[in-house]
Amino acid sequence: MSAALPLPLQLIWLVPVYGFSGMLLSLPWATGWIKRNGPRPAAYLNLLVTLLAVLHGSLVIREVVTLGPQHLDFPWFQAADLNLRIGFDLSLTNLAALELVTTMSLVCQVFALGYLDKEWSLARFYALVGFFEGAMSGVVLSSNLFMSYFLLEMLTLSTYLLVGFWYAQPLVVTAARDAFLTKRVGDVLLLMGVVALSAWAGSMEFTDLYAWAARAKAEQLISPLAGTLLGLGLIAGPMGKCAQFPMHLWLDEAMEGPNPASILRNSVVVTCGAIVLLKLMPVVAVSPLATTVLLAVGSISAIGGGLVAVAQVDLKRAFSYSTTSYLGLVFIAIALQMPGLALLLLFAHGLARALQFMSVGSIIATTNCQDLTELGGLGTRMPATSLSFLVGSAGLVGLVPLGCFWCFGLVIDNLRQLAPGYAALFLITNALTAMNVTRVYRSVFLGPVLPKTKRTPEANWLMALPMVSLSVIVLLLPWIMQRIDPVPGIASFPLPVGLAVAASGLVGVLIGSVVQLDQFWSRSTQPTLRVLQDLLAYDFYTPEIYRRIIVIPVAGLARFTRWFDITVVKGLVDGVGRLSLTTAEGLKLSVSGQLQSYVLTLIVAIVLLLGGLQVLRGVG
Amino acid sequence: MLLSLLLLIPFLGTLTVLLWPGGPSPARLRLITIAILVLQLGVSLAVASAFDPAQAGMQLQEHHAWVPGIGLDYALGIDGLSLPLVLINSGLTLVSAVITRDIDKRPRIYFAMLLLITGAVNGAFLSENLLLFFLFYELELIPLWLLVSVWGGVNRAYAATKFLIFTAVSGMLILGAFLGLALLTGSVDFSLTPVLSERLAMGGQLWLLGALLIGFGIKIPLVPLHNWLPDAHTQASTPVSVLLAGVLLKLGTYGMLRFGLQLFPEAWAKLAPALAIWAAISVLYGSLAAIAQTDMKRMVAYSSVGHMGYVLLAAAADTPVSLLGAVFQMVSHGLISALLFLLVGIVYRKTGTRDLEVLRGLLNPEKGLPFTGSLMIVAVMASAGLPGMAGFISEFLVFRGSINVFPLATLLSMVGSGLTAVYFLLLVNRAFFGRLAITPPSGDAVEDGRLDVQLAPVAPRETFPAMALAAGVVLLGLVPSSLGRISEVATTALAAITALPTGVH
Repeated sequence: MSAALPLPLQLIWLVPVYGFSGMLLSLPWATGWIKRNGPRPAAYLNLLVTLLAVLHGSLVIREVVTLGPQHLDFPWFQAADLNLRIGFDLSLTNLAALELVTTMSLVCQVFALGYLDKEWSLARFYALVGFFEGAMSGVVLSSNLFMSYFLLEMLTLSTYLLVGFWYAQPLVVTAARDAFLTKRVGDVLLLMGVVALSAWAGSMEFTDLYAWAARAKAEQLISPLAGTLLGLGLIAGPMGKCAQFPMHLWLDEAMEGPNPASILRNSVVVTCGAIVLLKLMPVVAVSPLATTVLLAVGSISAIGGGLVAVAQVDLKRAFSYSTTSYLGLVFIAIALQMPGLALLLLFAHGLARALQFMSVGSIIATTNCQDLTELGGLGTRMPATSLSFLVGSAGLVGLVPLGCFWCFGLVIDNLRQLAPGYAALFLITNALTAMNVTRVYRSVFLGPVLPKTKRTPEANWLMALPMVSLSVIVLLLPWIMQRIDPVPGIASFPLPVGLAVAASGLVGVLIGSVVQLDQFWSRSTQPTLRVLQDLLAYDFYTPEIYRRIIVIPVAGLARFTRWFDITVVKGLVDGVGRLSLTTAEGLKLSVSGQLQSYVLTLIVAIVLLLGGLQVLRGVG
Repeated sequence: MLLSLLLLIPFLGTLTVLLWPGGPSPARLRLITIAILVLQLGVSLAVASAFDPAQAGMQLQEHHAWVPGIGLDYALGIDGLSLPLVLINSGLTLVSAVITRDIDKRPRIYFAMLLLITGAVNGAFLSENLLLFFLFYELELIPLWLLVSVWGGVNRAYAATKFLIFTAVSGMLILGAFLGLALLTGSVDFSLTPVLSERLAMGGQLWLLGALLIGFGIKIPLVPLHNWLPDAHTQASTPVSVLLAGVLLKLGTYGMLRFGLQLFPEAWAKLAPALAIWAAISVLYGSLAAIAQTDMKRMVAYSSVGHMGYVLLAAAADTPVSLLGAVFQMVSHGLISALLFLLVGIVYRKTGTRDLEVLRGLLNPEKGLPFTGSLMIVAVMASAGLPGMAGFISEFLVFRGSINVFPLATLLSMVGSGLTAVYFLLLVNRAFFGRLAITPPSGDAVEDGRLDVQLAPVAPRETFPAMALAAGVVLLGLVPSSLGRISEVATTALAAITALPTGVH
């Protein structure tokens, strides 16, 4: 069957391999085996293989457009009733996601050349990004749950290493740890689901799983409890990956990592997590409770993330919480069975968010500062950055007719009859986002020039080029979206809905422009306001709650186990040893290196054994 | 004849090292040992290529009557269960000889003992006769005791004695079970015949199996019989730790599968639910105890306790997939724990400490141990079960094979897998991340110069064995069919043995 397929399709397995090979190619520089001429060649090699991945992906798209969706798989491991395969699902949506991943990776790698210009471990960064890219391109193409899980965990590892890139800094150390552990909790829960599904459904192919899920629901193959646990396990993985409440903590801390990695993390990594959820949704739907939990998590993340974002004074964190908020919206869309719209929203969000983070990166690279209270007046000094920020933010906010505006319109049009509450939630989130970007824009680009923003030339061309190119793409996004999904078209919602979206965005912008921005961001003098401000600024005290309900109990349990081990187990052993003191002491004292006595012991033991056997034989 | 070579080479090697004329230098002795071990590895690879993976039973068998009066025959054979372990033994003993440097006292005896252990372990894995197995099982004990008690750390006498007493008890219980089997069945034929126990009443079977379980449980070790292991590891030198964790613990799990599961299928099926709970307790206990450790070696030792619990879980579940998972877990734990001990050994040699309260920022690219640190990240991730490395596929097979049989114990063990990430991340975060410093965290850092650390660079020849092990870990993780092909038929057959009697009931 595969012989008839064109070559680019047959070689689809190369696409993730490009990324991984980029990692291997960087190793000689990353490990310091090659020190001459600096680490730049590693970056160029990675750019080259990523370019190959982009080109290969577009060739595949051309073929798939003519041939229709294809499915390829290769055996990987087979034992008894277990059959694990490497499978690729070449549908247009998967390939669009692949192009998003590879293109963003390429753009970010160019950006990183400028951003990490003087970084001595540039090669290590590129090696990790190659690993990252390989895992992500595999996740979006994967046609079976096992492979998706496999690669998602690789993403966890590479996130850990990328966040921990500057591992000598104390904040980075905790950030990397939290990123890994939070995601790992999600991954282990997901693994429980994967293992259970593998045992129950047999096959790991998504299509087979859907069939099994339908049967399980109709014929009550599994108990309701098992179904609920399965559903909850399956959503835990994507929740961790997409930084949803209550597993959102890591994304905020991950902002300690290098900015180019933050760009990828906030745009495409979260997209990968959501795509896995999308693929799992028919199985999750077996459990009504899991769907409800998904909706609740999405809603809390959307509103909570939006609120917390408003109270942040760190430039990157203000937007990372906003990512949590948008992914919450995507979760709602997925839970309400609107996969097409969820994908569209992911696509629009991914590109615009990446652009926003690029402009943020450009500001940080120039000013070496990411504290909002110390920034100001950059608008005229960094025009390209300022413009990119505006375009990126406009692409996110439903006000001007760029990407997210149309997505929100479509979603709300779908929801207003079905679930008006969620429609309102989209509007509120939109208003909060608009308010957040407006207040950030005011404090960074407008206002007086501050000490840290006095000498701020525009970013160098390696950063400006990807930024401006991406701005153009974001501006063209509605047109691209119309091309991807021509029926019923992105404008297929009535005018009042569009006006409602625009109005919510406008309200946000207005609040954002009038709200008082204190340069020193002192806490409010009003007690009630101060409590609220602290609550949001400290992310609803989530780290503290985690410390209380998870870290302290686990640490306590660990200390108890150690105590038990030393006092009870070892104490018992030593006690028994002391009782038979003669033997033990005799052996202890004889440890002096006298070979003869050891050999004697050995021989005596063997003689006793053989003698004992002879006696036994007499008995038997 | 091929299998006898696996005994002859190390045992003759022991004599060669002991009797080498003139006073050979330690370096010369090391080279001789390495040459012998390379030969042994070659022969075990030859065995692997002569082995037919499609056949379920024992292969390349050799039978000679030895002491017929007591049923002790020289009967060797190999199957898909023992072949991977023989390969691990050959490989890891070679690694531990290679990483042995600067032996200051009695190098002759040190290397002779190393060879004696590897020969005895080969013998135990290859024996088809219960008494022969027992002889080899005991034979490995004395040399290891010597290796800990003569070349160990400060508190070595205590640790070595504890090891000796625990393992002697283990040996006695196993011998008792074997003799009891003979006594109760009235046959002195000690050859490995699975059906023997069926003649016994269930009560007798349970007693014998119980003795075997405790005996092998000490060796594996399972909680609460594990107490000797952390002490032995912390006092043993790095090569001995590699051998102990990588090879010798496998004698316990191998014995449990071969003589527990295979000889007493009915009693095993009866005890299986309790064994699964025992496994889960062992996993959680080992992992939690590891979190609270500050000595890197102790932490790795407790992680062994946890990870060997998976093997018991898989054995208890006793499905084709879970038993294959047990073999995978034995092999991957062998490779990964050897790698971890090796790397901890390098850190210890360069810094003089293994204390996590003291070490900071070892990844420092100029003054620290960046490459060792990178390998350490690979090793801990492999141990935590990250895909692409050996730990993941092993754990996946174990869990996948066990979840239908013992859902609760499997889920609890998976929590243990999550805890592995916690303690190993603590290890990496504390010792390798942050700013390079080597002194206790209190006091004035600048004053006492703790930040002016300049560690001696690690030579490539020091990290080479670690790189080889890491490559093995990744290879097994990416191409698991390499091992699956060898063992699948044997583990499926093993699961079928036990499926028969339980199916009848």
